Formats: sequence, C-alpha cells, structure tokens
Amino acid sequence: MGQQLTAPITVTPPEQLREVRFDDVMETSINEILVRYPTAQAALLPLLWLCQEKWGWISPGVTAAVAERLGLSPAFVEGVTSFYTMFLRRPPGRYVLQVCTTLSCQLCGAGGLVDHLKAKLGIEFGETSADGRFTLIDVQCLGACGEAPILQINNDYYTDLDVERLDELLDGLK
Amino acid sequence: MEPILLRARGTPNSRSIVTYHEAGGYESLRKVLGLQAETVIEEVKKSGLRGRGGAGFPTGVKWGFVPRDLPKPKYLICNADESEPGTFKDREIIRVDPHMLLEGIIISSYAIGAHVAYIYIRGEFYSEAVILETAIAEAREHGYLDPNVLNSGFAMDIHIHRGAGAYICGEETALIESIEGKRGQPRLKPPFPAVVGVFGCPTVVNNVETLASVPHIIERGGEWYASIGTERSTGPKLFSVSGHVKKPGVYEVPLGTTFREIIYEICGGIRGDKQLKAFIPGGSSCPILPADKVDIGSDFESVAEAGSMLGSGGLIVMDETVDMVWALENLLAFYAHESCGQCTPCREGADWALDVVRRIRRGYGRPEDVDTLLRIARFASQGMTICPLGDAFCEPIRSFLAQFRHEFEAAIESARPLPPKKQPVLPVRPGHGDFGL
Amino acid sequence: MVTLTIDGNEVQVPEGTNLVDAAKSVGLDIPTYCYHPGLSVVGQCRICFVEVEGMPRLVTACSTPAQPDMVVLTDSDRVREARAAVMEFLLENHPLDCPVCDQAGECLLQDYSVEHGLDTTHMVDERRTFPGFERRLIGPQVVQNQNRCIHCTRCIRFTQEIAETADLTMKSRGNHSYIDTYDGKPFDNPWSACAADVCPVGALTVKDFRFRARVWHLVDTESVCPGCSIGCNIHIGHLDGVVHRFVPRENFEVNGWWMCDHGRSLAEGLNDRDVDRPVVRAAHGERVTTWGEMITVLHSMATEAGPAGVVASANLSNEGLFLVKEILVGHFGLEVVVPVESDPPRKIKNGHNEWVSSVDAHANSSGARLIGLPIVDAAGLAGFIKDGRAPLLVLDDRSHPWLTSDEAASALEGRRLAVASRSVTPLAVRAELLLPVASWAETEGTYTSSTGRVQLARRGFVPRGQVLPMWQILFRLGVAAGVYEEGAVSPRSIFERLAKAVGAFEGMTYQQLEAESGITVSAEVLDVVG
Repeated sequence: MGQQLTAPITVTPPEQLREVRFDDVMETSINEILVRYPTAQAALLPLLWLCQEKWGWISPGVTAAVAERLGLSPAFVEGVTSFYTMFLRRPPGRYVLQVCTTLSCQLCGAGGLVDHLKAKLGIEFGETSADGRFTLIDVQCLGACGEAPILQINNDYYTDLDVERLDELLDGLK
Repeated sequence: MEPILLRARGTPNSRSIVTYHEAGGYESLRKVLGLQAETVIEEVKKSGLRGRGGAGFPTGVKWGFVPRDLPKPKYLICNADESEPGTFKDREIIRVDPHMLLEGIIISSYAIGAHVAYIYIRGEFYSEAVILETAIAEAREHGYLDPNVLNSGFAMDIHIHRGAGAYICGEETALIESIEGKRGQPRLKPPFPAVVGVFGCPTVVNNVETLASVPHIIERGGEWYASIGTERSTGPKLFSVSGHVKKPGVYEVPLGTTFREIIYEICGGIRGDKQLKAFIPGGSSCPILPADKVDIGSDFESVAEAGSMLGSGGLIVMDETVDMVWALENLLAFYAHESCGQCTPCREGADWALDVVRRIRRGYGRPEDVDTLLRIARFASQGMTICPLGDAFCEPIRSFLAQFRHEFEAAIESARPLPPKKQPVLPVRPGHGDFGL
Repeated sequence: MVTLTIDGNEVQVPEGTNLVDAAKSVGLDIPTYCYHPGLSVVGQCRICFVEVEGMPRLVTACSTPAQPDMVVLTDSDRVREARAAVMEFLLENHPLDCPVCDQAGECLLQDYSVEHGLDTTHMVDERRTFPGFERRLIGPQVVQNQNRCIHCTRCIRFTQEIAETADLTMKSRGNHSYIDTYDGKPFDNPWSACAADVCPVGALTVKDFRFRARVWHLVDTESVCPGCSIGCNIHIGHLDGVVHRFVPRENFEVNGWWMCDHGRSLAEGLNDRDVDRPVVRAAHGERVTTWGEMITVLHSMATEAGPAGVVASANLSNEGLFLVKEILVGHFGLEVVVPVESDPPRKIKNGHNEWVSSVDAHANSSGARLIGLPIVDAAGLAGFIKDGRAPLLVLDDRSHPWLTSDEAASALEGRRLAVASRSVTPLAVRAELLLPVASWAETEGTYTSSTGRVQLARRGFVPRGQVLPMWQILFRLGVAAGVYEEGAVSPRSIFERLAKAVGAFEGMTYQQLEAESGITVSAEVLDVVG
C-alpha cells in the first residue's frame, strides 16, 4: 500500500457547536481566502471546508457563523451546504468510509466489499458504528475507476481493494 | 507513439518543478510572453485542439469568443471536477505532471487576457489539491505566478477552489455558480460564460487535459499537433480504461486508434479471457456500443458515426457476464443522485426511470415499461432541460434499449405480478451530508 | 419596440419583453410555473416551451426575449407534446390529493393539467413522499406540504428578492430536494404569506384561510388594504356576507404583487358584527330604535347644549371625510379632530422592486389632510377629549388605539357619547347612542394613500340589519339639517362634488377610478399637506 494510515477526524460534539465563534487563527485563514475572490460569497465553499476540517462537520451553529461572516442568510448557506454531499451535516464517526458504488467499481467487485463492510461493522449505509469509529456511506464515482474498487476514508483513497486488504486496513484504524 | 501528456509518467519526482525544468518545462511560457495574445490563439486554432472535457468544442474558437475590449477582468477556470463515471485522466495528469497543467493555465490565461485563474477541483481529490497547492507555491517562487511574470509585465495568479461532491459542477455554468458560492445549478444560456461568466465577467472554462495540451502546442507548433490523430480529431488523447480489462488505467493514444487495439493490446484484453459484451467509449453518459463495434476508430467522427460519443474518453469495458438491466440501473442511480433538481424533466425523469429499471431488475417488470423508459428518454433530453444532464441519463436509456432490448424484455416476461412498495423518503432524504440519499 | 409574430398575430412589444408577456399582450396564454412577473427568471419548470422558427430546439418563453421578426408558435404539435410531457413529469410524484388540498380551484397544476396534460399517466410506481412535511406549520402564517411541491422556487426567490429575508431555501438535491428554513426555524417575516400566494400549487398555503371555503365559491371584490397608509391593492374573498381572506391585487406602482401579513390578518376582523341596529341607552336600559329617531337625536346633539365634539377617523373614505367637513364642520360648526397613529411602521415592495413605507396606520390620513381636517396624534386626541365637556360623537371606535385605553375611559366618564361601531368595544359599551356602521367590505369608497394615490375600494356585500356606511349616516344628518335634499346619493355622487370642491381632487372622475388602478394627486398638493 505504501501509504500512511489515515488520521481520524476530530469530531466536535453537537453541544459544543451550538454557537460558534471564529478564533484569530481561523480569521487569518478566512482573510487569506477572501483575497482570492472579488466577492465575499465566493469564499463560502472554502470557508465551509475550513470549518469541516476544524470541527469535523457543519452544525447549524457553524452554518450561522459562516453566514454572518460572509453576509449571507443562514438559510441560504444551509441550502448550499446540503447541495454538496461532502459537507457533513451530522457528526460523523472518526473514519468516514465512502465506498464507490458506480459502474466501474461494481464491475470490479465493489458489491462484495459493501456486503463485507456492512456485515463486519454491523451498520447500513448512512449509519455510524456504536463505538463512533466508522460511518459508512455509499458514494457515486470517485474518479479513479482504473484502480477499482475504491474506498475513500476521510481524505484518502484506498484503491484496488479486496476483502483481505480491507480487513487489514480497517483493523489499523483506531 | 511517444508519450506527450504522460511523458513524465515513471520519472522519479515527476511532480517537482526541478524535474519539470529538466524536461524543458516553462520554456513554452517564456516563448509566449514575447508573443501577441492573438498569435497564441491562432496557434491553438491551427492545432485543431478540441475540448477534452466531453463536448469536443474547438479550444481556440472558444478563446476567440472572449470580448477583448470589454473593460472587465477576464477569468480562466480549469475544470478539474472530473466526475463522469469511467473518467480519471485529469487526476493522472495532476498526479504525474502538475506543472504541465499550471504552464498550460498560465499560457491560456495570457491568450485570453486573464490575470486570475481558478482550478475547480472535485472535493474528493484532496491529495490532488495538495499536489497542486505545492506546485503553485513552486511556480510562485520561480516567478511564473507573479504580479510581473518573468519581468514581462504580465500579472498572473492561480487559486484552487475545491468542490464538495456534486457531479453537476463539471458543467461549466454550474461550476461558475459553485465558485460564486451557490448551489451548483447550471445557468440559462445565453449569455455564455465567454461573455458573462464568473462574477459577471468573461470567462473561459477548459478541461485539465485541454489546458495541459497547450504547452506542447506552443513548444512544437500547432501543425505538429495537428499531424497526430485524424484530420478533424487532432492530437493525442488520454483514454481512461476501466471495467473488465486486464490492465485498466490511463493511456495516451492518438485519436483514431481502434477500440480493439486499446482493449486487447494496450490493456491486455478482457479479464479472465472472457468475451467482450459491450463498451461505453466516452464516459457513462455516452451511448453504449456492442462488441461488434470494437473495430471502429477512437476519433470524434468515427465514434459519432457508430452512434455514440467520444466524450471524455472514459472507456468502460463489460464482459459477457454483465446483466444490462443491472448496468443501466447502476448508471441511472448515478444520474438520479447527481441531478441538481432544477429542471422538471431531469429531476423527475431520472428518478422515475431508475424506479422503472430497478423494478424490472427485481423481477416486477411490466410490458409497458420499455415504452415508458423511451418516453422519459425522449422528453428529458435534447433541450428539454437547461444543461445536458438530461441527455446524460437519457442516452444510456436509449442505447441500452437499442442494443440490449431483449434482456429487458426477457426480464419483464419472467416477472412476478406485484410490484414492491417503495420506501418513503425518510425522514426527508437529505444530501449525503446526512450520510446517504 | 420590437415587432414579431406569435401564432400568426403581429405583436409589438417593448424591447426586452419576454415571449410570455409578448403573447399575453395579444391574449395568448403561455402556461408558466416558475415564471412570475415580480421575480427573477430561472426557466426551470420547462412548461412554457414554445417553438421559434429557425431554432432547432424548443425554447422556454419566459427566458427568451422577443426579437424582431421572430416567428413564434405557442400551440404547435411539438409544443403540445412537450408540455404534456412536462405535465406528466410534474404529476408523476404529485400526490393528486386535490379533494383535501386547499389550493384546489386556484391551482396551476389543475388548470394546466386540463389544458395541456395527458388524460392518464405512465407512472405505476410509488410516489415520492416527505414524511413529516405533509402538513407542517412552517411559520405562523404558512402551512407546508412538501409532497405537492413542484420545485419552482418562486417562494425562495420571493424571500430573497422581495422580502430580502432569504429565510426559505432549497435543501438537498435533485428529486429529494425540499423547501425549508434554516435549521427548521419558523418561517416568519412580515410578508411571509406572499410565499404561499406565489406558490402555484398547494405546497404552501395560507394558514388562516385553510379549509374555510372552496375558492370557486368565493366572491371576489377589488379593494384596498385598510391596514396602513400605503394602500396596497387587494382582493377581498367573501361568501354569504362573511369575509374569508385578503389577497394582494397587482398594482405595479403601489404594492407590486404583495401585501404584508398584518394587512392580511385584518380580513377576519371585518366579520365582527355585534351591533346591527341603532340603539339608544338610558338609565332604565337600552332599546333598539330607528335611524329616523337616531338622526333626530344626533341632530339635536349637534345643535343644542353646547356644540358636540367630533372624533372622526382617518379610516373613513374620502367621501365620508368630505361630508364630515361639509356637514359637521361647515354646517354645524362642530370641532372635529382626526386622530392618527403612526406606529408601527410598515413597508412593501412595489413593482419596481422599491420599498414603499407607510406614514401612519391609516388608509386615508392623506385624504383627511387634503380635505382640510385637523389631524391629531395620541396626545392631541387625549387633550381634545379631556378638555371637552360637551357630548362627543365618535365616528369610528377603532380609529385610534388611545380610545380603548383606561385613560380614555375615565376622561369620558359622565359624558354624553354617540359612537359608530360594529362590535362591543370599550367605547361602544358606554355609548348612549350606538350607530351600527358598515365595515370596510360593506361600503364603497375612495381612499388617498400617503403617496397621494386616490384608489377605489369596492363594496363586497350589503350589510345585514340596519347597518349603514358612515357617508350615508352623515348624508341623512345633512338632510335632517336641511343642507341636502332627500334623494339618491352614492359614493360616486359625493366624490363628484368632492372633486369640484377640493382642489387636490380637481379633474378626477369616479369613472376613471373605476377603470384605472388609481390616480395620483399632484406633487405640489402632496407637498403642502405632507
């Protein structure tokens, strides 16, 4: 595999994200983003990414803070956030397992991986394991079909998987 | 053929600017900075380069649409939102040779008079975004991205803009909306982006492979480029080959190479030495072709003549074991998931078609289902929707039924009488931000 | 101007007009869902397809500007086929629950389904549902049924472009997308019910009107909102003498297509009717009387025992106020005040997408000023009442909130009081003479908005019992005083005299007010009174 094991997401619990303020470090990053665009609104996706990296997901409180920072309505921001499937609007597990289930991966055995994952973790798509370790999501084409089947864990791609390699991989993720 | 776009593949540290310099990198940029912008556009027109994102529109002509005298900033956007199932060539370019892309972006920006370019990269390509950030930092250090690029007086900068999981943002106006911080919903056209694009300014959106081709055209001339491939489909083309082949991957071949050669020679043939059943030549939205079309050439014209499209060059190969009802269901699930939802025929039609095909596959087909599918396909495509996503799910319906209708009819004939109950959308099926549709 | 041909008709429209409006100008209706003249064009419902000669594909009429020499077909085979297909797509997941849908009768799905749809569907699968979103109170005024939504986004665009609150949004994507607020918070802005107005289907309905009546039974009366000085044009929907709702009536210059929730909420109050006969009260009890006796008593009140004071009302029509001026001030020489309350401020967007703000909470304070009646605020009104000892005639017991205060009650202690009323108010309870007066929907009249626009509000229905409009009460008093001759009188005849007598209204005719959406007094005149 030759790649470092994926780091877990630091998931901030909902009760700590009811009201959100950006600290100085965040403000510095936000200002760096803002200078790239002629409008503040264009910074919306980058800022949502920044928040998700920091807190692990986008709570309503984060949405409101982002909206206020960019001069947008919170409803609008929530509409945008919910359009893009990668913005997580519920707290996820430490490792978000995203299995590609589109054609090329399916032709190369993604279906078997899915069955295995569900059985092994005891969860369905969209669910998080009881220990908060894994969230399982079925995703559409990840754009690496030549190395199918593919599993994205947090930011990293794991390619050419089979059941044995998958087990080995998951056992390493704590 | 000597590799052109993939010439650095296999070279150690191919992503580093040092390696790129050793291969003659950024020389094309130096050359261009002494030229008139029009000269650059002319050279690209001469090359016959056609957009590699899927539509195949001549790149030089697209650049020519940008009004030069409009007193507004112009923008170049590099479309790295590679999301068409079966397509993964842009990822390869970024992973192998990011500076080639950056040089292409800088030259192209110079040609259209843009001083800022955005690379819109799909959110899943996190490590590729990191690679590009590193390359951009190197390019800044070396003065290729600078308020005064190589003391030429030309100001240039590039920013990465990450998408967040929406296939539709590969459509250029949806991409523009997304950069502007909105839901990625395609815009009504006209106006076209060349006149009113991002932030209301003239904008050119080009695919990664298209832009990566530009330094080579400048380096070796449009005529040289046009000498590769066929008369109207010039240049080398990256094919992403996936599915049931022994050696899937990204391959660079001259346009016009036969699919037999790509599948059986370059990719080593069908996995398990099974029989070829069908292939989709250009990414999942292109009509599927049966095995007997494998001898056609992979140029825009030959593929069109055979009833399909070259699209983005995403070749999906299926062997004799594949159930075509299942395969169509899989593709429709993709398009139903990715429809932005603004146009009625696409929003309603994609999900409806998926329901019908899924029902057939589960053994509850009805005799009238094939006609219903064809009716959906007829009225959700060809201008019935704002963007081509309508066509993208209708072409598979039409072509699967044209080539493999007997499989659908057989499934329907052996069907059980009662359809299953559909699960309601619970509690409201959210985006997969709520973990799955 | 651009000249083009639509279905064989030569059409001339201003440059930039879209094909929907161009067709409308010659009486051709192109169906639309997402298109609304007051909102931005998104071209996404796809029902307005038309064929343009020379264009290979059908185009959406809403997003296509009329161009010179264009030849447009709105009813060709291709167009009909495409529209039928779009209708089928729209109904594919629609619950078809018309019998229990409150939009029924004014639903564009129903209308266009008959006009443009198929008589069947190819859909045999289960329909999409949004459990929990079928009968959801999305805000204090609006009920949401997401199952019926056709995703036209009119409501969202209304909140973004008109209300500027942007509190509705589309969430999720594709076939699963749905209308919601931020974090499920109540959809509550001053114009929220307009989001239900613009909804072409039953996905958003106005809570207060739900299931009160089938709309095709309602009688529609063109009127003006009584809520403030802006004078939003409205339709009053009523049935058998009961007012069921106000909905905005298009007036580009005043309120566009909109009205505020407060104005809308006033509809219900028009049904207050406890007083429907003239009543005289004395120490030994109260008795119903006749208007003849009532007018006699009023006449004596105005002439004997030290002149009575009059609290008129900025809610009265120009005609009523004109008679106040002519009879009560001019003939009897009574002291009259018109109390005006300025709060709370209200605003509305006109058709130019500009805010129009209210000056006060009355429909006709400008009319009172132009006619030359003295305006007083709460303090002035209090002073007027506290200073007087003579009998008091109150022409509208709801004309000012101060009148219902404890302070007013104690100031009126032991004083003779004649009150025009519809219901049991603090003033009506203590009145010696109780005059049953018509509601806003029961009388016709003209009103002058704070921008100087004179507008006609028509009568919805004849009041029951012995109820009279104020102008008629005043006219009868005038007859009793020998100022007017007995005979036919109407708002029209009074307005004609008003137009001759009061400079600001000079040259206006009632006929014009009936035909047009309002006439504006000259700017100089308005400046003087403003």
